[in-house]
Parts: sequence; structure tokens; C-alpha cells
Amino acid sequence: MDSTTPRRLPISPYLLALAVCILTTFVCLPLRPLLDVANIVMLFLLAVFLVARLLGRGPAVVAAFLSVGLFDFFFVPPQLSFTVSDAQYLITLAVMLAVGLATTHLTASMGEQTALATRKEGEARELYEVARELAGALTLGQVAEISQRFLERAHRIRSTLFLIHADGELKTVLLPDHPHGAIETGFIRTVIDRGEMLEIDTLAGSGMAALYFPLRTALQVRGVLAVSPLDQDEDALHALRPLLGTLASLMAIAVERLHYVDVAQDTQLQVASERLRNSLLAALSHDLRTPLTALIGTADTLALAKPPLPAAQQEAAEALGEQARAMGKLLTNVLDMAKLQAPHVTLRKEWLPLEEVVGSALRLLGAALANHPLRLNLPTDLPLVEFDAVLLERVLCNLLENAAKYSPAGAAIDVTAEATAPWLTVTVSDRGAGFPAEKDGEPFDPFALFVRGLAESSTPGVGLGLAICKAIVDAHGGTITALPREGGGASVRFTLPLGNPPAIEEERP
Amino acid sequence: MNGDVSVRILIVEDEPQIRRFVRNALAAEGWQVHEAETGRQGLSEAATRTPDLLILDLGLPDMDGVSLVSDLRHWSSLPILILSARDGEQDKIDALDAGADDYLTKPFGIGELLARVRALLRRRPPGGEGSSQFAFGDVAVDFSRRSVTRRGEAVHLTPIEYQLLSLLIANAGKVMTHRHLLREVWGPTYAESSHYLRVYVGNLRRKLEEDPAQPRYFLTETGVGYRFQA
Repeated sequence: MDSTTPRRLPISPYLLALAVCILTTFVCLPLRPLLDVANIVMLFLLAVFLVARLLGRGPAVVAAFLSVGLFDFFFVPPQLSFTVSDAQYLITLAVMLAVGLATTHLTASMGEQTALATRKEGEARELYEVARELAGALTLGQVAEISQRFLERAHRIRSTLFLIHADGELKTVLLPDHPHGAIETGFIRTVIDRGEMLEIDTLAGSGMAALYFPLRTALQVRGVLAVSPLDQDEDALHALRPLLGTLASLMAIAVERLHYVDVAQDTQLQVASERLRNSLLAALSHDLRTPLTALIGTADTLALAKPPLPAAQQEAAEALGEQARAMGKLLTNVLDMAKLQAPHVTLRKEWLPLEEVVGSALRLLGAALANHPLRLNLPTDLPLVEFDAVLLERVLCNLLENAAKYSPAGAAIDVTAEATAPWLTVTVSDRGAGFPAEKDGEPFDPFALFVRGLAESSTPGVGLGLAICKAIVDAHGGTITALPREGGGASVRFTLPLGNPPAIEEERP
Repeated sequence: MNGDVSVRILIVEDEPQIRRFVRNALAAEGWQVHEAETGRQGLSEAATRTPDLLILDLGLPDMDGVSLVSDLRHWSSLPILILSARDGEQDKIDALDAGADDYLTKPFGIGELLARVRALLRRRPPGGEGSSQFAFGDVAVDFSRRSVTRRGEAVHLTPIEYQLLSLLIANAGKVMTHRHLLREVWGPTYAESSHYLRVYVGNLRRKLEEDPAQPRYFLTETGVGYRFQA
């Protein structure tokens, strides 16, 4: 492609060059007696220069040769003949031709470079406009529309935008009035995987996209821009590669920006809904605990009255307190479950010995375990494990309480722990009725009714208690299972990941 | 049981039902009880009545219970028992760090309430210079000789273990937060290295408790801190 040659009339520059040379000859002929031959050469060179400047390389070359011919014929003695009498004139002619051609070359190159610079400037301005528009785009549809309009208008190129969605699925951003070329999705996948531009040799007029550009950002490829020429030849399209590559980068930035706008909005929404949830739970907790506290306190006041109430009333007061306390536990469990079912459970994890929470759980249960001898089997060399102490204490309390509830009085409860990388395994076993075999694994469904040998009514909140255990252990990345125990009874075993406990510096004596 | 009439207890609680049963329970012990509904009222009552113990609800309508504790601590060292209905440990920790001595989580029974109140009243006068000897269970500590014996036999404690033990004994009955203990024993740079504290408390239990997994003296306040109870 020679941009310096006007496309419409390809022959006229050559005719013009011819005319200029003939005109120069006619101007010089009357001056011949007045001017030195050397100066006439100068006039011819000036003509060649003008032709080169105005008409381009081809006509100027023609003009250079023509000038030499005309000069030789009309001005070099013997005149009106191409023969040269004085050998010196051969040098004149050779230099004249050389200077003419050199001038032609330099002038034409300069023109070409100017044209190239002008074209580049135009491209840069176009890209700037597109960049400005893309920076203001509010939707992915707008990004596609801006780039497609630009390519179609400015470069007669058809383009299609593909985007990778969060789930990894590939989606086309379709615009109703824009024709789409035939796209090979295999190519798109290749571009995404490699993160590099792909160039396809297609049959002319097949409508197949010929170039595929990745929309690459710092972290990942967000999509692909596929282009095919509307009516240009493919060479013209390939010459536009740098421009298209830049456009693809601009689009990648716009797509990335929109992605993070989405992420920010989602996060904001999530934070707001979580805050609402937490304040709702806190209000619920406060509003339910306050009357419960008054109820328990008042029942205790009656039960501790001096002088003591008659036996029947005393019993009623104690029963009242007991029921209110059971309700308090249930409330704690319900609120905990609600908190644990939030989309983002925040654990206050710390590195601590298991022994500590076992101890605090046992102290918390106190009288509830009075009828059951406890056998603890905690190796003294257990490593520190990272967990939320309050929540793990709840797990142990629920499991121990459960074991006590289902075991006949006097039956021992065993708590054993074992650290075998990568898990800490804790087992709470009893000698109760055991889990019904066919329901194994089911007790941990928060909505499944928990049946375990005893009548349901006598064990309020047990299903919920175990469901909370599962939710807590799950949140720690562990597992929890219910197993029948050899020799009768049930075992609940849960695991916690061991991890790498932080080092403790040795104390200097 | 028969309380000393000179003992004055101030209750700051906005819920009349809770205030009533707490007041009745304390009055039944023979103690003098004063009441306040709001934080401001509580502060002025605390100044005029000079009570021996303050029972404070953290969820007051007019001011934050935690800031009330720190206000009070500027001029008074009276024992403070926190009542908390809120979930999460942070508010309790904040109140304890601000200078409160102990806490009860709602709902609580009268038995628990009286046990805490008695323990706190026993502690007074706070910071009173006791003897250089202290004994719990089968352990005897002699602060003047920096020695610890168990069933008459010397127990070897490392300097940090001894320092931790002394601090816990000096604050017997009081809930000490993890942060507080770490700061006092290891220094401020260790305030977040709670695993040190866990390991050293474990060591003390192993050396001084009958059954370290079921401690009687070095009690865990899960998620909050430790309490030494003789």
C-alpha cells in the first residue's frame, strides 16, 4: 500500500511529470544562450524535486530519466541529438541522473514518513477517543458496543466480544444490529489458555474471524476480541494488528474495572446484610435473655425463700427454674445456630491445648455429669491446635451432655484424643442405648428428628445440639461422625486439622 | 451466711424485673442494697454511697457500660461485677480490661450471683498487704523466699511460671484477661501471643493441680482469660 499515491487517478501523475519536464525544456530553450549549461541542469533538478515532492516516488523517477534525456537531446552539444561530443558531458549526465534519483528518494521518503506520522496520529486520536468512551462505560454491553462501533466505522472491521464469567463459562456479548462472523470457539479457548493473540488464515469471504486478541489483565484473561474484515483484504487487517492489540488492552481494562465494581457492590451488600443479621440476632438475644433472667431469678427467689415454702410450692418453684434454664440453653443453641448458618462465619481461632477446653466444658456442665464417672484419655504431648475456644467448648459440652443424658446413671463417659497428622481426633463415648443403626450418619442433619432409644419429649433440643456441633466442626474444616461403640453405647468422633503450631521460645534461666 | 449490715452493694441495671430479684436476693443475705437505673445515676450513687461492690449491667440505655467502668476506675477501686446479656466475648473482655473484676452472663441464677458476690466481697480490701505466705490445696507459696512446695516437696517453677503464679494469686477471684496477663508477664510486645499464656498455664496446672484436665484452682474463662480461685 502506497499512501502517497492518490488512488483515484493512477495515470495522471506520470503524465504530469512528463508535462513538467517538457515545460522545463521549453522554458530553458530560450535561455540557453544566456545561461551556462550547469545552471540549466539545476533547473531540471529543481523540476525533478518538485515532481518528487508533489507527485511521489514513481513519477519522480520517470521525471529524473526524462530530464536527463531532454537535457542531453536539447542542450548538450551537438544539439538535437543524443550523441555527446565532449566526454565531460557524460559526467554531467551521470551526476544529474544520480542527483535526480537521490532527490527523488529523499523527498519521497520524507513524504511517506509525514503521511505515516499523520496516520499514526490519527490512530492515536481514535484510540484516545475509544479509551475515553471505554472509561465511561457502565456495562459490558457498552464496552462491546463502543469497540464494535469504532472498528466498524474507522476500519471496516467486524468484531465480536467474548467474556469469561465468574463460573468460567464463556459468553458472547451480542448486539442486535451488529453482524457476527463465524467464530470457532476452539480458537477462543486456545487464546484464553495461552493468553496470546491468535492469527488464522481464512478463505477470503468465508466470514470467519481472522484474528483473536486476549483481553489480558494483570491476573487473568477476562475475554477475547475476535475480528474479521467486512470488505477489506486480509493483509489490510493484519496491518492493523498493533492497533487492535491496543484496543484489546483498553477493553481489558474496562472489563476489569466493571468486574471490580461488581465485586465492590456485592461486598457492600454482603456487609450490609451481615450487619443487619448480627444486629437482629443481638437484639433478639437481648430481648429474650432479659425476661428469661428475670424468670430464673424470680423462680430462684421463691425456691430459696425463708422460711421455705410448703413442699408443693417449693417443688413448683424449682420446676419453674429448671424449665426456664432449659429454655435458656435452647435459646443459646438457636442463636448459635443462626450465627453459624450465616454465609461467613467468623471464628476467633487461637492456638491452644485441647486439655483446656475439655477442662472448661467439664466445669461448665458440673452437676449434669455428677452421675457419670469420667475417664479422660488425653495424651500429655498433644500439640497446640488452632480453634475457636468458645465454639469448641460448646461442641464438647453438647457431646458430653448428650452422652450423660443417654447413659444409665453410673455408666462411665470416655473422652479420648489422639493426634495423627494431619488430624486431631477427639472421641466422646458412652454406654447408652447407642444410635439406631439404620439412621447412622443422620443425627447431624439439623432438620432430621433425632431418635435415640429414649422418648423424644424427654430430651429437648438434642437434635439442635448435635447440628450445632456439626456446624462448628465443619467451620473448622474438620469432620464429625457418629459410630456405634463396641460393647454397646455410642461414640461421636470429631477431627480438627493439626496445622503448624507457632513456636514457643525457650525461657532463659 | 448472716451478712454484715455494713456491706453496701450498688446495682446499676435498667430492667426493673432483674433489678428486683437481684435486690431481693442480696437483701436476703442481710446486705444493704442501693439501685440505679442509668449509668449517670449509677456514677453519682457510686460517689455518694461509696458501696463495697458494684453490680453493673453492660447494656445501659444512656451510656456504654465499658466507659462507665473506666470512668469509675479513675477514682475508685471498688470491685465490679458485670452482667452481660450480649453475645460474644468482646464486650466482657473490654469491661474486664477497663477494670471490672468478674462477669455473669444472662441468664444466671441466684446461686451463681451470690457465689460471685461473696467471692468479690472476700477479696476486699483490694491490694491489701497480706502475709508473705499463701496456700491452696496441697500447695504452699512463700513469696519472701520465692519458693513453692507441694505436699512439702519443692516444686521447680521457671521464672515466668513463678511470675504468672504470683500475679494470679495476687488477683485471686478476679477474671484476668489474656491480654492483661500477657502484658504483665511477657510485656506489651506479646499481647497477641496468647499461645505462650496457654502453654504456661498448662504447665502450672501440670505442676500444681491434682488433675490438670479438671483444674480446681487455675480456672479457664473460655474466650476471656483465667481466674485463680483458692
